Amino acid sequence: MSSFLRHFFSRPTALFGFCIFAVILVIALAAPLIFSHGPFTIVGMPLLPPGAPGLVAGSDVLGRDMAIGLAYGARISLLVGVTSTLGAIGIGVLLGAVAGYYGGAVDDLLMRVTEFFQIIPTFVLLMVLVAFMEPSLASAVIGIALISWPQVARVVRGEFLSLRQREFVQAARVLGLSDASIIFTQILPNALSPIVVISSMMVGNAILTESALSFLGLGDPNLLSWGSMIGGSRSAMWVAWWTTVLPGLCIMVTVLALNFIGDGLNDALNPRRRR
Amino acid sequence: MPLVRVQDLTVALPPGADRAKAVEDVSFEIARNRIVCIVGESGSGKSLTAHAVMGLLPRGVTATAGSILFDGVDLLKEPPEALRRRRGRDIAMIFQDPMAALNPVVAIGRQVTEQIRAHRAISESQALKQASEMLGQMGLKNVAGLLRAYPHQLSGGQRQRVMIAMALSLSPRLLIADEPTTALDVTTQAQILALIKRIQTEREMSVLLITHDFGVVADMADTVAVMRHGRVVESGDVKTVLGSPAHSYTRALIAAVPKGESRLGPPPQGLALMKVEGLTKRFRRGGLLSRAPVVTALDDVGLTLCRGETLGIVGESGSGKSTLARCVIRLLDPDAGQVWLDGADIAQMKEKNLRPLRRRIQMVFQDPFSSLNPRQRVGDIVIAGPRALGEDEARARARAADMLRLVGLNPETMNRFPHEFSGGQRQRIGLARALMLKPDVLIADEPVSALDVTVQAQVLKLLDDVRRQMNLAMLFITHDMRVAAEICHRVMVMRHGRVVECGPTSEIFANPATDYTKALLAAIPGRQAL
Repeated sequence: MSSFLRHFFSRPTALFGFCIFAVILVIALAAPLIFSHGPFTIVGMPLLPPGAPGLVAGSDVLGRDMAIGLAYGARISLLVGVTSTLGAIGIGVLLGAVAGYYGGAVDDLLMRVTEFFQIIPTFVLLMVLVAFMEPSLASAVIGIALISWPQVARVVRGEFLSLRQREFVQAARVLGLSDASIIFTQILPNALSPIVVISSMMVGNAILTESALSFLGLGDPNLLSWGSMIGGSRSAMWVAWWTTVLPGLCIMVTVLALNFIGDGLNDALNPRRRR
Repeated sequence: MPLVRVQDLTVALPPGADRAKAVEDVSFEIARNRIVCIVGESGSGKSLTAHAVMGLLPRGVTATAGSILFDGVDLLKEPPEALRRRRGRDIAMIFQDPMAALNPVVAIGRQVTEQIRAHRAISESQALKQASEMLGQMGLKNVAGLLRAYPHQLSGGQRQRVMIAMALSLSPRLLIADEPTTALDVTTQAQILALIKRIQTEREMSVLLITHDFGVVADMADTVAVMRHGRVVESGDVKTVLGSPAHSYTRALIAAVPKGESRLGPPPQGLALMKVEGLTKRFRRGGLLSRAPVVTALDDVGLTLCRGETLGIVGESGSGKSTLARCVIRLLDPDAGQVWLDGADIAQMKEKNLRPLRRRIQMVFQDPFSSLNPRQRVGDIVIAGPRALGEDEARARARAADMLRLVGLNPETMNRFPHEFSGGQRQRIGLARALMLKPDVLIADEPVSALDVTVQAQVLKLLDDVRRQMNLAMLFITHDMRVAAEICHRVMVMRHGRVVECGPTSEIFANPATDYTKALLAAIPGRQAL
């Protein structure tokens, strides 16, 4: 494990991504401790620029503290990103593992289902799903999980297709192990590296997708996220740049950090890339 | 003056490798018009020595001391550009795996002419003419078709002939062959070795042949150097080294080579424990829409196996011996035929009914590196079978410790991961895993083909001891007649999915009934000399 960490942190981009993500995570978790108000509390005049007395990041169109909004927005963005990714991983791993392990007709059927999800414009599907379920935190999470599992299923299926040929898997069959225990205790641990890599990237994607949903007003109306902050302030974009640029920057930096982490994990987990 | 004189060559490995120097103070000579063999086990540095002569050391690995004089010029001091021009023209090399050495997406003709035209200013058509001449000289038929073919359409032997043709196309003075026949069948190996010997004599070249097989050394070499842990422990004239080896390591290596003589007594008599009848397996290639040919991998194969008996299945690659093993143990579903185990036919049994019976037939696999789950500790690997049958964990662990001791491992290995072990040790772990279920039948699929010859001898002995102690019936799959002779009571020879002949080992070796078996026996390297 220590050699894995050493390889991971030896890449400056991975180290940078990890630090940025850690800072964002701490701010998100500690938001109620740092700030005395909630994100919807009006603290002063609207559209005060950053640096105004008591307002590090200025105020928005309704006179709410942007800094508090950004910190609470991080909670929602990260929550949606992580939970929807976990959901997508769950669906994708299960279907990909079954398709790859059994092959044949099962594989054909499951892959056609996967392709169905891959060929329709995913964002349109997502908007339909969320609108159908009523916009809320849960519907965003479910919707994003439902549109992002196919790539996990593809990757996991590929890993299983090659791993099931390995002699240790044949040995497990000869020993009389059940299919479920071969899939979960023999093959899956060997397929974890690409799953870990892909999930770090997916969290970033999910944050972007959630922002897009919230920007369009399909987010949870009772919660403030980075996307809904941009959506709510777009009318003031030309007079108060900070209302849209700051949450946008937050999204960009978070996604960038997650991609750096993903690249770093990919290199550290792939023995052939190690030097 | 010899063509090549290697003097005190030292090759350093990058920091973090398992030893500091791959090759240390190695000196030998390659005389003109002679074949020199470097023989040694894996990790002896024999391959890196050859690569150093070729100037093709891997990144991070450098020759730090000594000299390699080629016709009086020190190759280690030559500028890279001069060395590049020398490769192919003065020194050529062929490798173990011709598939990996050929470009899979370029036709053979292009690859051969490209090589020629990289060194000589001649036209494409001239190069093509030269290429087809070369391929013809290599004993290849239908050269015109071959030039248009892609590497995957050729057999292993054909590929290696193409590689040799490419290596020789510029008439080099030294041919380096790094385990050129290790990936080939025994009869193909004999042909390729004969070809190398023939062209060496015809062209009066020198050959540096790297091998792990003393049989090959006996057949090919004029002089031999034995390497161990990066040093030459003994070298000299082949007759002297093989006839009266001076170093104890050389003696041990030669002693470990199976002699190709039956060592076991007559097969034990008794009721058949397992009986296979009319087993047939076909593979359908291609997808839904293509009507691709059906390959019959097993055609009406039958055998019987008694307790305490080892039956060897021998044959070349593609003979169906591995398919037979996998059908018997039901990793594959046979299309027809029966596999009777104590009166129950398991050939067509549903997986659900089969699972409780799986315990009785266990298997040791070929590849020590892929047959153990890299993410599991040895202890968990060994107890997986008993645990699946509901055995209590503490009890299984106690038994596993005894079992590891039985196969010659320290029970403390239970807490370690497979990558911490050598190939031979991994095969022992694989055997322990199989034996934990107290099987009646043990199938060993090429269990020693990936191992060095001294380790091979140890594992063979272990298998035989275990067979005796547990009164196992053993089905031993191998491509190596010498290994079969060592461990089998009876031998079954297979070809193209059919049984060619079957009988007691000593009889088959003394009086082979078919030409095919005769050819297999004649192809054993070093049969006369060792």
